[in-house]
Amino acid sequence: MSDVTATRPTMSIGGLWAGYQRWPGWLQNLTNATLGMGILLFVWWIGGLLIASNPDTQAFANFAPGPTFQALWYLIETGSIWETIYSSLYRIMIGLFWGIVIGVPTGILVGYFLMVRQIANMPFQFLRMISPLAWMPIAVLAFETWDAAIIFLLVMATVWPIVFGTAHGVQRIDPNWFQVAKNLGADGYQMLRRVILPAIAQDVFAGIRLAIGVAWVVLVPAEYLGVTSGLGYAINDARDTLDYDTLAAIVVVIGLIGYLLDATAVALIKRYSWRVE
Amino acid sequence: MTQQEHKASSIWIANLSHTFRKQTSPAIKDIELTIPKGQLTALIGRSGCGKSTLLKMMAGLMIPSDGAVRIGGHTVTKPSAKWNMMFQKPSLYPWMSVRENAALGLVFAGTYEQKKDSVESLLDMVGLSEHKDKNVQQLSGGQQQRVALARSLATEPDILLLDEPFSALDAFTRTQLQDEVAEICHDQGITMVMVTHDIEEAIAMADKVIIMSQNPGEIVGDLDVPLGYPRERSQPQFINLKETLFAEFEKIDQAKQQAMANAG
Ligand SMILES: Nc1ncnc2c1ncn2[C@@H]1O[C@H](COP(=O)(O)OP(=O)(O)OP(=O)(O)O)[C@@H](O)[C@H]1O
Ligand SMILES: [Mg+2]
Repeated sequence: MSDVTATRPTMSIGGLWAGYQRWPGWLQNLTNATLGMGILLFVWWIGGLLIASNPDTQAFANFAPGPTFQALWYLIETGSIWETIYSSLYRIMIGLFWGIVIGVPTGILVGYFLMVRQIANMPFQFLRMISPLAWMPIAVLAFETWDAAIIFLLVMATVWPIVFGTAHGVQRIDPNWFQVAKNLGADGYQMLRRVILPAIAQDVFAGIRLAIGVAWVVLVPAEYLGVTSGLGYAINDARDTLDYDTLAAIVVVIGLIGYLLDATAVALIKRYSWRVE
Repeated sequence: MTQQEHKASSIWIANLSHTFRKQTSPAIKDIELTIPKGQLTALIGRSGCGKSTLLKMMAGLMIPSDGAVRIGGHTVTKPSAKWNMMFQKPSLYPWMSVRENAALGLVFAGTYEQKKDSVESLLDMVGLSEHKDKNVQQLSGGQQQRVALARSLATEPDILLLDEPFSALDAFTRTQLQDEVAEICHDQGITMVMVTHDIEEAIAMADKVIIMSQNPGEIVGDLDVPLGYPRERSQPQFINLKETLFAEFEKIDQAKQQAMANAG
């Protein structure tokens, strides 16, 4: 028994692997995450070298990591990026707000009442499959400002995942929870506040997480049109002025903020999750 | 029944029948039952004879198609904090701690702030002193059922309705909880109605056992249990009563099946 465990670590692949397996989970996670980002940067860097070495694409050499991060630093130093980020985040938040205000109650109705579910299912599945961007011409006709049109697109993007997430959560509620609460004297509001909302919170946030993902992806192309602020506009503007390093820097910013938004949603899901694995 | 008797009884059921939707014959039929205040009643009968249905009607969770349940002179039409039903499964809220679950009825009534201490002492009483801050998912089945018991008692109900509340527990925990619940109800003057399949459970807890038969569910007999609390299960009187109840049940059951066979 004791001689088996007393082997000395050697510099073989097997030895390294065994050593890695003994690391705590968070360290493995951190190492792998760093490795992943390293690979991404490396591929980007190689891509930059290839672009620079080809006479046909040389003009785009500023897409490489070096110029990009310089441009990013410049954007941060001069502070011009914050205004841009603020405009985009503002639109996302308003879109998400309406998505939640419309989506959660609708989802509760759909999840709770079989008849509503049967009525709503086909139209909702149909509408859900339409790219939010396909609504653009209609949005432009229907709304006076470009901003309102973009927010409408974002609502069309966010509402479906929230409706379906909420409905899914409601359907998974244990019917006994209603009976017990009724029995303990809960009125309608208390049932909502103490039973339904906490029971479905994690599924609602899972829907919101999906909604944020779709909204963020839709936002940039939506901002190509009409408006004169936001990340999408900034990308278009950089393209028109051939500032490829700035363009790439904004792409980095979009990815970064998207990641942070997603991480926030994941934290909320975790916070409101009550199921034990 | 006179008005006077009516007041002294806790639960009064007359001419109650129920036919479920889309069914042709009634699930329970012509139930007549008077349960005095503070009596501990056990309802026994074969699976499917309508015990749960009858109990849910007492709780106001179901409305009979014929007749009515009256409690304290009022027809029961909806649930109330005055009578509380405990189910076979504890159905606790997994996003709440033990304490929050136990306090829920008081939170609904808006009296939790005043009655905080009572929740604490109830949890102590059911043996959960060390688990008050835990999530209910971290408790064993027996501990969860105790939380449900504390939750039911916290609203200080006059009537406790139990639907096979211990059937999912091991024999040791089950006996212990049977004794505890019977004593609590007895000491606090709570009227208890309990549904069970278990003859021993009926004798261990009830003052009076009501026997139901099936097709349709009707009350076909009863038995008084003149024993004090706590009850020693090995004492001859206890064993005798158990045997009497079993014999009575078999006799009635056979008679009914005979009658049904004769009828066609
Ligand atoms: N919702 C319903 N619709 C139609 N029939 C029902 C419904 N609920 C119960 N029944 C029928 O009514 C009868 C009585 O049911 P109930 O649940 O009251 O029986 P029980 O005595 O509690 O049985 P068990 O001991 O198995 O719990 C059964 O025959 C059952 O099939
Ligand atoms: Mg039953």
